[in-house]
Amino acid sequence: MELKICHMYPDVLNLYGDRGDIICLSQRLRWRGIQVQVSRLPIGQSARLAGFDLVFIGGGQDFEQQVLLDDLHRGKDREIRAAVEDGLPFLAICGGYQMLGNYYETYDGQKCDFIGAVDLYTVGSKKRMIGNYKFQCSPEAGGSLVVGFENHSGKTWLGSGVRPLGKVLAGFGNNGEDGTEGAHYKNVFGTYSHGPLLPKNPAFCDHLLLTALTRKYGAAELEPLDDQAELRAHDEMAARL
Amino acid sequence: MSLQAIFAILLCKALRLFSRLVHRGGTAMPGRFALKLCPNLLALLAKDVKSVAITGTNGKTTSARMVEEAFAEKGLTYFANRSGANLISGITTEFVMNCSLTGRMRKEYAVIECDEAAARTVFGQLKPQVVLVTNLFRDQLDRYGEVTHTLENIREALKGAPEALLCLNADCSLTASLAEDLPNRAVFFGVDGSAVPARAKPEISDATHCIRCKTEYEYDYISYGHLGGFRCPKCGYRRPRADYAVTDITGLRADGSTAVMRIRGEKKLVDVNLPAMYNLYNAAGAVAAVTEMGLGADTAIQALARFKCGFGRMEDFALGRGGAKMMLVKNPAGCNQVIEFLGTVKERFSLVVCLNDRSADGTDVSWIWDADFEGLTALSGRLETLVVSGDRAEDMRVRIKYAGIPDSRIRTERDYGKLVDWMARQEKPVYIMPTYTAMLELRQEVIKRCGGQDFWV
Repeated sequence: MELKICHMYPDVLNLYGDRGDIICLSQRLRWRGIQVQVSRLPIGQSARLAGFDLVFIGGGQDFEQQVLLDDLHRGKDREIRAAVEDGLPFLAICGGYQMLGNYYETYDGQKCDFIGAVDLYTVGSKKRMIGNYKFQCSPEAGGSLVVGFENHSGKTWLGSGVRPLGKVLAGFGNNGEDGTEGAHYKNVFGTYSHGPLLPKNPAFCDHLLLTALTRKYGAAELEPLDDQAELRAHDEMAARL
Repeated sequence: MSLQAIFAILLCKALRLFSRLVHRGGTAMPGRFALKLCPNLLALLAKDVKSVAITGTNGKTTSARMVEEAFAEKGLTYFANRSGANLISGITTEFVMNCSLTGRMRKEYAVIECDEAAARTVFGQLKPQVVLVTNLFRDQLDRYGEVTHTLENIREALKGAPEALLCLNADCSLTASLAEDLPNRAVFFGVDGSAVPARAKPEISDATHCIRCKTEYEYDYISYGHLGGFRCPKCGYRRPRADYAVTDITGLRADGSTAVMRIRGEKKLVDVNLPAMYNLYNAAGAVAAVTEMGLGADTAIQALARFKCGFGRMEDFALGRGGAKMMLVKNPAGCNQVIEFLGTVKERFSLVVCLNDRSADGTDVSWIWDADFEGLTALSGRLETLVVSGDRAEDMRVRIKYAGIPDSRIRTERDYGKLVDWMARQEKPVYIMPTYTAMLELRQEVIKRCGGQDFWV
């Protein structure tokens, strides 16, 4: 078996250790003898998304946002929308998550069009939501307890066709108001969780891998790994919160 | 001095005396209260002192020690905020501790290390003669925010000190941009392409796109991180020529480096009493600051060979048969440099990585995934034991596991007493990579065992 992972915009969306998610996905496949191929898709390059089994988009800083949007609006936006509807699994973190939505409205009312692949939008707020946090994934998203680190000023609101990824148990999540965290639409998993997300949450990582493998091979099973180190890090943070 | 200022000085001195009597420390608190009483106290005291201010992400403390050594070499009367209290409160305390009760300064010079986010409050009062900006990297994003935000903070800060001469890192596209749209005179330091072996672009760079026009930079060479011979193909913004440049590295050893430096056109051989590439940048910056203060390049060069940094920056301890070396790490860029340095260690060694997540470390530990711990796998043949410690030891352990070192080779030891006991029993050298607050605590424990200079002195 083999998974082809697309790391979208690693050149600008690489803040807060999100490449740890790519490292984690790759290692957990390799340790099981499943081949993995990670392709970087930086600004200015194009690739056929349909040729991949999983797409990863990390969080980034504001400085390069315009460069990024210009690149998206040169055709990648259409391709992402089609891939999402086709059920291609996506993991999108923070800025990458917001970007899949319809728009971002700054605190002083300026609207910035995003790509509208998932029905959600984000509104800037004055107060930054920063800190370790935890949430319980919905059963459809694997149901695991996730610990992570959030750092965002945007408040995200979900449209009617989009379910939250989980329920906030400690911290802010999507907006600090409605108790939701992230979004789950078709096979798109969007979340604010840095940390990075996957290494400390092996159950969630495996759910994602299983989703991708099942889509590609019809049925798939994952051999269990020795996750004692990962779970100690997970449990320690979960107990702190 | 106004009566108000004199009261503030008295209060500051009394609080400092009191805090030293009851416990250690008292570096920031007395100054904080004094400034409440007299908000421009620092300005009043600083106007009679010639100072070098040092700011930037990495290398502030090391650069400050180099500059300080040159001042000592020259026999100048000076003081420095050595204890790492680098906000306006700590800096003010240091000034008060070096003035008379009526506010007359007892020293002619000062070497002031300044937190990059605090520079805005400090520079306008301090009015330094020279400001050295070491570099800008992503650091503690939860506290400082984006690196461009830190850059703007420093730019704002410098508006308060238009007379200051700037010593800027030519190889850092962010730092070098400070020379633009500020009235200050500026000189540049850096490492020329001739001194740097060809290397691939790193996977993570903190400044990929032009600070002026947001076009992707092209590089003639990269020394580390985003530092190197950058140029923007669109607007033409590029690495300025360095007035103080390392032109050739003749020896990168585990105990120091030898290099050729071009100092205002003249080539000189320099010995730097600290290992690793990033300390050559610190050396070039310090030579620039000292020379621009009018002390002569030779004084600066002598200082580089003699200075000792201590305080967890490549600091040696006589612990165990092979000794221990403490190498503070704070962010991916610095961490990568330390891992690269470990590659120059020829013998077998043990490694201790200590990760804390208190506010001075940054509460977000995700940065360890941006650092290339994968580099450790190449060293694993020489690695005796790998220990993780600190409040977030388990996170560190997971990071190293995913870097490719089998988990069975990693030990967790959170008790610093036991950890130091273990280090003391080692036959081979032990290298320690702590984050800031882990360094403070572990260093105390190490000093208890084998001596060393106390932090608070």
